[in-house]
Amino acid sequence: MRDLPVIKVDGVLELEHAVVDGVDISGHWNRMFNQRAINAYPTEAMDWVTGLAGGESMRDCYQCGKCVPVCPVNHVGDYGPRKLNVKVLRGNNLLDDPDLWLCTTCGNCYRVCPKEVNPLRIMPAIREQAVLEGKVPDELADVFQKLQRTGNPQGESPRKRADWIAEAGVPVPLISELGRPVDVLWYVSDYTSYHPRGKDAARAMARVLTALGVDFAILGNEERSDGDSARLAGESGLFEMLAEQNIKLFNKYQFRQLVVMDPHAFNAFKNEYPRLGWQGEVLHYTQFLAPLVDRLQFQSQVDLDVTYHDPCYLGRNNGEFDAPRRLLEAIPGIRLAEMPHNKQNGYCCGGGGGGMWLDGFVADHVSERLSERRVREAVATVGTDGTGVLSVACPYEPSRFEDAVKSTGNDGRLVVRDIIELLDQALQPASA
Amino acid sequence: MPETVLVIGGGPAGLEAARAVAEVGAQAILVERRAVLGGTPDESNYAALTPHLGSAQDALDLLRAGVQDPNVDIHLETTVTGCTGSLGDFRVTLSGPGGESTVKAGSIVVATGFQHFDPGRETQMYGYYEYPDVITLPDAEKMLKDHHFVRPSTGEAPRNVAFIQCVGSRDRRLGNEYCSKVCCGVASKEAIEIRQMLPDCKVYIFYIDMRMYGYWESQIYWPAQEQYNVNYIRGIVTEIVGKDGRLLMKGEDTTMGRPVEVLMDMIVLSVGMEPSKGTRDVAGILGVEQNKYGFIHTPGEPMDPVGTSVPGIFVAGAAAGPKDLEDTMSMAGAAAMRAIRAIRGLARAEVSASR
Repeated sequence: MRDLPVIKVDGVLELEHAVVDGVDISGHWNRMFNQRAINAYPTEAMDWVTGLAGGESMRDCYQCGKCVPVCPVNHVGDYGPRKLNVKVLRGNNLLDDPDLWLCTTCGNCYRVCPKEVNPLRIMPAIREQAVLEGKVPDELADVFQKLQRTGNPQGESPRKRADWIAEAGVPVPLISELGRPVDVLWYVSDYTSYHPRGKDAARAMARVLTALGVDFAILGNEERSDGDSARLAGESGLFEMLAEQNIKLFNKYQFRQLVVMDPHAFNAFKNEYPRLGWQGEVLHYTQFLAPLVDRLQFQSQVDLDVTYHDPCYLGRNNGEFDAPRRLLEAIPGIRLAEMPHNKQNGYCCGGGGGGMWLDGFVADHVSERLSERRVREAVATVGTDGTGVLSVACPYEPSRFEDAVKSTGNDGRLVVRDIIELLDQALQPASA
Repeated sequence: MPETVLVIGGGPAGLEAARAVAEVGAQAILVERRAVLGGTPDESNYAALTPHLGSAQDALDLLRAGVQDPNVDIHLETTVTGCTGSLGDFRVTLSGPGGESTVKAGSIVVATGFQHFDPGRETQMYGYYEYPDVITLPDAEKMLKDHHFVRPSTGEAPRNVAFIQCVGSRDRRLGNEYCSKVCCGVASKEAIEIRQMLPDCKVYIFYIDMRMYGYWESQIYWPAQEQYNVNYIRGIVTEIVGKDGRLLMKGEDTTMGRPVEVLMDMIVLSVGMEPSKGTRDVAGILGVEQNKYGFIHTPGEPMDPVGTSVPGIFVAGAAAGPKDLEDTMSMAGAAAMRAIRAIRGLARAEVSASR
């Protein structure tokens, strides 16, 4: 019996196979509890976390629990921001704890925290130490390598970054070839450049900018990932390397405004690049287009019920709720309806803070994906007959939500569209 | 009618009441059981006051200076042993060094205070009389006052210290169903002082819920946690046993839902407030109603926190239940004003009756 395998689960001992006096007591029949008492309250973990730059506020939690019900991950598992403090206060530095990777840095807990405990700073700080110790989930480590090698998380060739422009239907100038200053440097970003659905949005954006007569150009194959999600996932060195490359480009060319498709890039350029040496005006594309909306010559009705998903890094974490809605409301025919979780209380798609690259790891610790929960909410708001649209303004989302539409069995009930695609659609003559 | 107010008790409440009476030109007779003025803060060696850690000594000096007034007649080492009469005409027997005497007073302010809960009443739980390293808040206060915070058993600095909250408070079995109001703040204040004095010492506070009302939240609780790294663990302790020269503390970590068995070098019991012997005795002598816990009953609460069941007799401070210093000072001023007004109201009534 001694040689039989032992299943050890969190203080519970259970022999997979056990026969005592001829009686089979395999499995739960022989379950034993280990000593459950807490024998020490070591303070080292808390001292260590709060000693990290960014980790300071971890200590300040007083266990009110306001964060837990608004944490999207808590809806699908045991994780909750309050519980991180519980663990650290009892000696767990989180380096070997799956919880370290479950936070999407969506910031909804920080919004309600009376003590201003800030996981947007805490998680990257601890994750950075995990990265240094090589304690990173494999799939995330793989993406870090791709970013390092190719400058994009997909590991695609940087030389193909601007391939999408061939099918844009309008000229998309490269700033390196223009040889003159432009009004708008459009930072296209990773998923918009490489992902099939992202490329749809990129082409729509090119057409909308052209329709408006905007003097714009893109960086083309020189462009590198903004790196913000790598930073939030703990790879600050990689982030700084990518930022350095982009900043070099931003400084090389002359432009008046930087316009981005990706809220994560928006966050990086607005809040992180200044400390690394680049300061300039950066706008999310919805912010750039909203004041110009009266100049758009819409050609057709878009007769659809639409709801809007606030991206965490455009909405809650950077305060832009109105611009996307102004665009949607301007499109003829659209009926805009809000989901229960909207604006400040927007529900995370699960892709932020490295979540985009941890789907497999996260799946082992949650009952369903956040994107699936969000899709159910969207279906309940606008979708049952296929005319419902979940509109988005972040290139992470079309692929996440379209997968979730399928996995939740809502195929044919709901479609996912970037706002720019809806604008582009309304600018085209009505199709037959 | 002479405007004379008898103030019983020379602690913060009594000192402030007597000072206020004299300040508005009335006569105060101040009676104090001990040979010095100052009351419990003096007798129990308070060092730094909650919440600002100001000097208790300075505060007491200020209060004592306030009664150095020709209108305050101070009787030290004196107790009240009898009382007859009523509002406007109390005749009170005092027993002091010179024997018994009778004074006349128009009204009375009772300021006889509280005493700290005796943890020996918590039988077989905390071993206060068994283990020298189990101490109370006032015991810790004395050590902090002497700038010598050590384990009584060894004379060495402790490596870890746990405070246990709600000892003697919020307990139907003990008869003390009330929150003693100040212990969360005082424990946190002492925890800060220990961390200041012994930076390597880990300090824990085990609590049911932290009751940091009003500004104490940000004045004491948050700094203790955020700046002085005091560890707040929700869950209380029911047993302390000696082990290997240290204290094995057994309770439940209610956040984790798991038992706690942790070795501590020192344990501080956050003892609550009970009515002092003086409060119980004086209440009987004056015939004022006590509440079920033995504190002076204040039937007009919440609008009248100082009136007792007897017209002309008022109460200030912790004689009326758990109070912090702010409560005490506010009540003392209110009681003094009400005591004088009671006499003057009577005088006005007499004048109008004689017309």
